[in-house]
Amino acid sequence: MEIFAGLMQGFALALQPANLLWCLVGVALGTVVGILPGLGPPATIAMLLPLTFLMNPASAMIMLAGIYYGAKYGGSTTSILLNVPGESASVVTCLDGYQMAKKGRAGAALGIAAIASFIAGTVGVLGLMLIAPPLARLALAFSAPEYFGLMALGLAMVVLLAGRSLVKALLSMLVGLWLAGIGTDLFSSESRFTFGRMELLSGIDFVVVAIGVFAIGEVLANLEEPAAPQTLPIPKGWRNLLPTLQDLRDCRFAFANGSIVGFLIGVLPGAGSTIASFISYGVEKAVSRRREEFGTGVIEGVAAPEGANNSETGGALVPLLTLGIPGSGTTAILLAALVLWGFKPGPLFISDNPSLFWSLVASMYIGNVMLLVLNLPLVPLFAQVLRAPAYVLFPIILGVSMVGVYSTSSSLFDVGLLAGFGLLGYLMRKLDYPNAPLILGLVLGGAMERALRQSLMMSDGSLTILFARPISAVMLSLALLILLIPVVSRVNAWRRRLLS
Amino acid sequence: MRYRSGDFWSGLALAALGGYIVSAARGWEYLGQDGPGPGFFPLWYGIAMLALSLVLIFSKKENQKIEWQGAGRAFAAWAAFAVSVAVLKLVGFLISFAVLTFFIVAVMYRRPPAVAALVAIGVAAGFWLVFPLALGVALP
Amino acid sequence: MAPKIAFLIALSLAGSAFAQGFKPTRPVEVVVHTGPGGGSDVLARAVAAMIEKESLLPVRMQVVNKAGGGSAVAAAYLAEKAGDQNTIGFFTGVWLTTPLTSNAAKVTLKDLTPISRLVLEPALIAVKADAPYRTLGDFIAAAKRNPGQLKQSGGSVTSRDNVVRQLLQKASGARWVFISFPGGGERIAALLGGHVDMMVIEPEEAGQHIRAGNLRVLAQVNETRLRGFPDVPTLREAGFDVAVVPQVRGVVAPPGIPAANVAYWEDVFRRLTRTASWKKYLEDNQFEDGYQGSAELAKFYDEFTGTMRGILQEAGIKVVR
Repeated sequence: MEIFAGLMQGFALALQPANLLWCLVGVALGTVVGILPGLGPPATIAMLLPLTFLMNPASAMIMLAGIYYGAKYGGSTTSILLNVPGESASVVTCLDGYQMAKKGRAGAALGIAAIASFIAGTVGVLGLMLIAPPLARLALAFSAPEYFGLMALGLAMVVLLAGRSLVKALLSMLVGLWLAGIGTDLFSSESRFTFGRMELLSGIDFVVVAIGVFAIGEVLANLEEPAAPQTLPIPKGWRNLLPTLQDLRDCRFAFANGSIVGFLIGVLPGAGSTIASFISYGVEKAVSRRREEFGTGVIEGVAAPEGANNSETGGALVPLLTLGIPGSGTTAILLAALVLWGFKPGPLFISDNPSLFWSLVASMYIGNVMLLVLNLPLVPLFAQVLRAPAYVLFPIILGVSMVGVYSTSSSLFDVGLLAGFGLLGYLMRKLDYPNAPLILGLVLGGAMERALRQSLMMSDGSLTILFARPISAVMLSLALLILLIPVVSRVNAWRRRLLS
Repeated sequence: MRYRSGDFWSGLALAALGGYIVSAARGWEYLGQDGPGPGFFPLWYGIAMLALSLVLIFSKKENQKIEWQGAGRAFAAWAAFAVSVAVLKLVGFLISFAVLTFFIVAVMYRRPPAVAALVAIGVAAGFWLVFPLALGVALP
Repeated sequence: MAPKIAFLIALSLAGSAFAQGFKPTRPVEVVVHTGPGGGSDVLARAVAAMIEKESLLPVRMQVVNKAGGGSAVAAAYLAEKAGDQNTIGFFTGVWLTTPLTSNAAKVTLKDLTPISRLVLEPALIAVKADAPYRTLGDFIAAAKRNPGQLKQSGGSVTSRDNVVRQLLQKASGARWVFISFPGGGERIAALLGGHVDMMVIEPEEAGQHIRAGNLRVLAQVNETRLRGFPDVPTLREAGFDVAVVPQVRGVVAPPGIPAANVAYWEDVFRRLTRTASWKKYLEDNQFEDGYQGSAELAKFYDEFTGTMRGILQEAGIKVVR
């Protein structure tokens, strides 16, 4: 089998000591980058580009790819321990991960994140290896109407994330949609809600909102009481330092869910790991027996999104390597790197450069193993971070947030926005408005509006295009079904009252 | 209708926001030559926001009593944070952050000033070591 | 004797330093308007690497990302650094068009000090390989028969993609829809997937797809035929005598710097364009050399923005400046 031969060739290259070293450097650096909020793989890879000119392309690619998926592993650490999303995709991990840490199970959360990431990452590489070309062709069938269906499905998940008050969840989502709309309209160059400020012309960076609402809001909420010196209970005993067998069993579906959803969404150019982790989380919540507990520290709620954002990296490499189309910010830089090194990414890339492709694939397997080995033993170590007294930890969180936000945009205005969103996060907490729908609205709002307008442009104004095409019709129907759940349950409750 | 409840005031604020969005959206093109214009989406979610916030204001749901006791401290802490951000341009990150840390430790946690100073300097130094030195990341 | 010679040497050295005028002594800041990994950023880093390789500068170049509002934040940053002799910026077409449509983007290229224009980026008009159009004329004729039915994918409405469309529509009377996609990848995907009919694509992006047989090129947006596409007619040759509004990249500096400083930068970049690594860079990316010095660049700016204003207004886009 051709694939097998290629893979063997790839392993031969990837297992060379030099390449193993570069792989290790890449994944280690990626993990560190992922842990730091704000600083992400795109910036790191861009900064390392000049260095890569001194290396041979295969080794360089191995290292850069290592940074890419390594960062996904690291992103969960601060999300779980400090409620600070290390990376935009890690926001969803904060929801249940941090709650688990509050219950003293930080170690288990970190561990399951690493394990889920490993399984999903491996599935992602398998997918890349086995079904890349046909999948890429399928991805081309996706365009604006299908994206709209996907986004609508994502937003419908709000219903599942609602908690006590559906009205407040919807309001939270609408505020997110509004925030997403701030900036310059793509289709008409009209400036919306920018209040004349130049810094708002390209909109509000998601990282600023996420860190402000989650991390800073949480710190402020905690500062209400001077009493507690310890912020979170320190995990004691093996049960809480690492996931138990029961945990692993509970997460069976989550592993599959995360891997598949993440990979498929990664393949679509333009859809990102944040969407992948939200949808994976939503799916997990929808099928779980303990769906009401989601948001209070359910381990599947960590495993699914963490897996999704890892297999998404494998998925995102599919359009890059089979069509030369970058699917996300990081793959765009990888594309630029390939061009700079003199390659021509496109449909013939794999057949022109088999050894590069296969050594990359092989090194991704190796990298995933390395990351698991690196991260699991570090879990108890990371959990000890919680030992630090609150008055040291909280200033650190505030400081890291400021530095992280500044590192993405070098803009003091953004740091100011951070403070504003911190206050918003605190008020939302006090007034019992769920913050996940806000983030969901922010992430999906822009994409959804664009997709809708693009679709209507394609169909010359008629909405039927959304239902005429099979994929988008299916997704919209699913979205509608999900939206009907609360209605149905309310009708049922009302009927029960009538009958009793 | 509960006049002092958090739901009432937040609902009011959101209704105001919704109203503002709708009025801004009216200023932009609703339906352009090639498709919906920039005013299309905002109009609809503005209306939705307005409608839902009115539902919130008039809903008779029993809402929990909000604990406003600790809020004063949280607001104070936020004010300190906001001030430290505002002076970033003037004094740079390290100084403003050290002062913020000092404030949090001494005032919020009522630890003795010596401890507060130690923590402030230690943490700021830590940041300086980790970020610009080790990682090459610029501090604000 | 010795002291006299030493004095003469010292004098001549001082004299030559005077004649040189300016020489940077600390790392040069290069401002770009994209984040790390964006088009300008990558170009800046490539240029910095080339300059270092060819020893054209005695110091390093440090890329500074000031993304936001198209070019607004980067341009404003440069304007703030008035008089700073150690900072330059890399501009692209966005720097020229953003101030035209955006109130908040107050700094135009004229407010800064133009140094040189470096690159012209040509483009190709491409359709899917199995489309029924063999020439640009076929496409336009089909668009005329079905006004508003055919679709083109491209960037924002102020991008070159749309400018080409506006010019062709005006010249031919045909009308087709322009759908904006924020990412280059999505635009190509839309074309390959058959969701749109045509696209203005860069030769680099298209090359591999043409080789693989997925795309067909109808015409090139350039004055003369590109080396890589000797069989493809230019717009004029295809029968459409429209202005070729180029996509440009170049160097700009903060306002208020002395003439010697400007001359120094001009000289560095002029020498850069003569090096072998620059020529290779142009060839790899299929760019055209569009070198213009400071004075010519200022003139180009006036012409370009004048033309753009007309085009944007005809397209129904609000022009504010």
